[in-house]
Amino acid sequence: MSDHVTVTIDGRKLEVPAGELLIEAAQEHGTYIPRFCWHPRMKPVGMCRMCLVELETPRGPAIVTACTTPVSDGMVVHTRNETVQRMQEGVLEFLLINHPLDCPVCDRGGECPLQDHVMAYGPGESRFVEEKRHFEKPIPISELVLLDRERCILCARCTRFSEEISGDPLIEFTDRGNGVHIATFPDLPFSSYFSGNTVQICPVGALTATAYRFRARPWDLEAVESTCMHCTAGDRINLQASHNEVVRILGVDVEPTNQGWLSDRCRFGFQYVGSPDRLTVPLIRDAEQGHTEVTWSEALDLAATRIGEVLAGSGGQSVAVLGGARLTNEDAYALSKFARVVLGTNHVDAQMDDGLDPQFLAATVDRALISDLDSAKAILVWGPDLKEEHPTLYLRVRRAAQELGAALVVVHPRRTGLDDRATHKLTYRPGEGADLLTELVAGSGRASQARQALAEGPVVGLVGRTGYGEDPRLAEAVAAFVRTLPDARILPLARRANIYGALDMGLAPTLLPGRVSVGGEGARSIAEAWGGLAEHPGLDTRGILEAAAAGDIEVLFLVGADPLRDVPDGALARRALERVPFVVAIDQFLTDSSRLADVVFCADGFAEKEGTVTNLEGRVQKVNRIVPGPGQTRPDWSILDDLARRLGVELGFGSAEAISKEIADVAPAYRGVTWDRLDWEERDGIVVPDGGEAPLRFVPADTPGTRAGGDLVLHLARVMYDDGVTVRHSPSLAGLAPGAAVHLHPDDAARLGLASAETARVVTEQGEATLPIRLDDTLHRGVVYVPFNQPGMPPLGPGPAVTVTPA
Amino acid sequence: MAALSFPSNFLTTTIDKAARWARTQSMWPATFGLACCAIEMMATGAAHNDLARFGMEVFRASPRQADLMIVAGRVSQKMAPVLRQVYDQMPDPKWVISMGACASSGGMFNNYALVQGVDEVVPVDVYVPGCPPGPQSLMHGILTLQRMIVEGKVAS
Amino acid sequence: MGVMSELWKGLRVTGRIGLRSLVGRGIVTTEYPKEFRTKPQRFHGRHVLNRYPDGMEKCIGCELCAGACPAQCIYVRGADNAPDDPNSPGERFGYVYEINMLRCIFCALCVEACPTEAITMTHLFEMSVTSREEAIYTKEELLMRPDGTVPHPRPDDPYADLSELEVADGWVRATAPSGSAAYEGVKMWQDTAGPASWDPEPDQETRDA
Repeated sequence: MSDHVTVTIDGRKLEVPAGELLIEAAQEHGTYIPRFCWHPRMKPVGMCRMCLVELETPRGPAIVTACTTPVSDGMVVHTRNETVQRMQEGVLEFLLINHPLDCPVCDRGGECPLQDHVMAYGPGESRFVEEKRHFEKPIPISELVLLDRERCILCARCTRFSEEISGDPLIEFTDRGNGVHIATFPDLPFSSYFSGNTVQICPVGALTATAYRFRARPWDLEAVESTCMHCTAGDRINLQASHNEVVRILGVDVEPTNQGWLSDRCRFGFQYVGSPDRLTVPLIRDAEQGHTEVTWSEALDLAATRIGEVLAGSGGQSVAVLGGARLTNEDAYALSKFARVVLGTNHVDAQMDDGLDPQFLAATVDRALISDLDSAKAILVWGPDLKEEHPTLYLRVRRAAQELGAALVVVHPRRTGLDDRATHKLTYRPGEGADLLTELVAGSGRASQARQALAEGPVVGLVGRTGYGEDPRLAEAVAAFVRTLPDARILPLARRANIYGALDMGLAPTLLPGRVSVGGEGARSIAEAWGGLAEHPGLDTRGILEAAAAGDIEVLFLVGADPLRDVPDGALARRALERVPFVVAIDQFLTDSSRLADVVFCADGFAEKEGTVTNLEGRVQKVNRIVPGPGQTRPDWSILDDLARRLGVELGFGSAEAISKEIADVAPAYRGVTWDRLDWEERDGIVVPDGGEAPLRFVPADTPGTRAGGDLVLHLARVMYDDGVTVRHSPSLAGLAPGAAVHLHPDDAARLGLASAETARVVTEQGEATLPIRLDDTLHRGVVYVPFNQPGMPPLGPGPAVTVTPA
Repeated sequence: MAALSFPSNFLTTTIDKAARWARTQSMWPATFGLACCAIEMMATGAAHNDLARFGMEVFRASPRQADLMIVAGRVSQKMAPVLRQVYDQMPDPKWVISMGACASSGGMFNNYALVQGVDEVVPVDVYVPGCPPGPQSLMHGILTLQRMIVEGKVAS
Repeated sequence: MGVMSELWKGLRVTGRIGLRSLVGRGIVTTEYPKEFRTKPQRFHGRHVLNRYPDGMEKCIGCELCAGACPAQCIYVRGADNAPDDPNSPGERFGYVYEINMLRCIFCALCVEACPTEAITMTHLFEMSVTSREEAIYTKEELLMRPDGTVPHPRPDDPYADLSELEVADGWVRATAPSGSAAYEGVKMWQDTAGPASWDPEPDQETRDA
């Protein structure tokens, strides 16, 4: 027991790990020491003085803060004796000198640590009758967060969070003595992607969120634990609703995924659930009147009749299904089975032209866990800007580099959120990644130092597509390189909510549930279980859209999909949707795409249905229901079940839970995953085994070699706030989209004669637009960066060839 | 009936009015005291308030002789079919007053054991708020019902 | 023989009371609706939302009443006060305030919970309704008018004495408005509805000076 020491806390002798902080050691053994500033995920500062305890030392009793004192052998601690109680009463009386007693209107009132501590440890009455200090209240310090300086007790949790965890220190103490208060820098709002976390950890109501302000009180909230469906990290959340309306999301501190943190998109992106624009009844499109509201049976009958005619005529080959990444695993499985069995088609794709091979995303062997980042010696990030697309994963990588000492190599065409913590940062022109990879593999040229940093294992490679101008096969080549590194594990990156679950359920042209390949060994048992499978080779999103535009697709299903906005080549999507004779949409909103649909079914969404989701490491977690769907919405599986029955096929779905049992039977990787286990024993999720039926053989590193023509290439990449459906219908987030712009390197701008121009004309093969210019010297020379899907931006297509001229 | 339906018949409309008035003057309540409200209902019949002033002092144990059911108290799920049976046994025309919070909406007992409002079981004409409503409140309910009957606003 | 004597005993009582009532003595019946019984001072009738003498709403939409309500009959939603035209002092006001009178048990826990004495009770208790919807009193019907009078959904109800709306139930607060425990149990209430007008606390002026 050399790594354990013996301490005596309130007369109890305890064995605790050496070096642990007293406050943690006491809590693990059931003694709660009150605290405000100490947070288990951040470094201790000992600012609030609430955790004072008495130590017996050879020189007599000593008063120390439990949050900054590590345990040592033979330590004798008193946490509730008379001296300590007097200290605690004194500290609380001091804190209340300036803290206003506006608890009835404070959002924190009812769940406030200060309230609770004053009730439990406070003196009951204050001797201070002087005027409290006053500030203007509340002041907005960003679009999402309001600051009330009167309530602040100066615990430094928010400032430490933005410095230690999120890495954007935009909030700090200012002034001295009695005047110390929290402030942002002049002209610089607290525009962090993670600002909402400071609201959650604030021990008083000093920081409040605009989205939750005055919406409810803690005692009328219902809460359920669920999983976030905005990014693919599978963050655990506490979903809270009042009067059948989701009003708040809090992060749950679980070790494997988000460690309690959430991005603002996840935290405030719930607002679309209660949006008045939600579809509440099925719609049928009329040539003259547009969409009219109909009953479920009318809509289902129409869809079944038209689909039946097509199936009887040209068969399943002319039917295609797009989307499904926003579904739960159960709904995705239902869609997969519906497509294969009822529609008889393999033209199924949930990835919507993000371009990566579904086998690569779903069936990578040696798949890393997020927690592997904590033990990694070196991390290679060659993929999208994690801060924009995988925010909580970004926090984990940041922590690994900043606190745990991992070497970090970042490769991206422009700056990323991780640059300030990267040991080596390499930029390149999209399309020339293969050259850089060759250099990196050889350890030559400008990549030599980065190669050395990756020489020591364990290595974790986070690999994805940096932008739409990139060859999608490059990611596989990078993964192949990562596998040659010592003790390497790989996290393939895709950004759509439950894309890994959708692929695991077979929403890809080449995959069946459980990562079984179409036409492979395991397909036979699935065919047996389902009573038949489609045989023809399937098309991916691009293939489907091209076939549709050519007139080869007669029925197109859009399931939570908005290809007009969500596919890089929006112009192609428009041609396709306009050409297809019969489009069926299952959606929550009337999007640009579902406006073109002939039948629109309204579906239940996030927070309205139960199910499971799979995150990017293959962790299956539960999502839970807390509000009913608006109007007549139904879960997707039930819509498909009804439609199948009208087409003469019994899919046999009774409930989402029954489907989950069928998944466990049919999909090999999901054996043993039950709702019971996820609800009780394994709340943090079950990691399904990695690899598929045919584990992917990586293509050699030198294959991809698309060279963009011309001297400029387009780097079209996603940012956190775009014009997607969920952001657009969440009022708090809708205004945060940075807006359409073209980013140029100052040298390029000068060369093009745009150095002082306001706007420029950007022309690609697929479209053109006049956009405001932003100069960005972190860009690689010759790269034109345009954020994807910003409000009011016409589709520019994936590029990569682009010309920029003065407007 | 077709022969009797004169469009604006002086005789029948006046008789109808008279009949409606007569019906209000001696409504006999069926006893349906279920809880504390019943104490107030009994007090309403006693000297200080004296329901006999409205000709209503005769609380009938037999539904066959009652016109008005005052549901006084909380209706448990098990009592609901009994209540409905008593209501069905009452001869037409008949009325229902839901007395108090529990009978009207479940009151503070928002749980599985209680019917959340007796109007889930029988049609209610007048709801009397209160926990329990005092005699004067109950009489307010009765007077409201009488006025509605006279004005022809409820089926009678 | 025994039957007749018992019958005589009973009829004597009836006759005595009957004769006495003929001369108008000993009648206990209140002739409601012609006359109304006086209710005790602390009687709990329907609620009213008060205003300050300057016309501001006292309710700050804090939902403490809804939290305290054992019958969950109160529904409150808060909203931001417009800084230049506030409804109530401070940041927040109740923009929705509804009480379901059919669920309410008139226990006055809401009155006790209210930190600003915004909700109090009047003496009006006669408010039968003919549909459940009518029983939900909205802010329009609960909030007193700026002149201190209280609105009512049926202002012409012949069977209710609407002057009872002017009478407030008396209640004793636990502490003084300043929160000082020294005033525990001190009776500070007004017996009429309308803007609060009680005397300042005994030493308030010296403290403020």
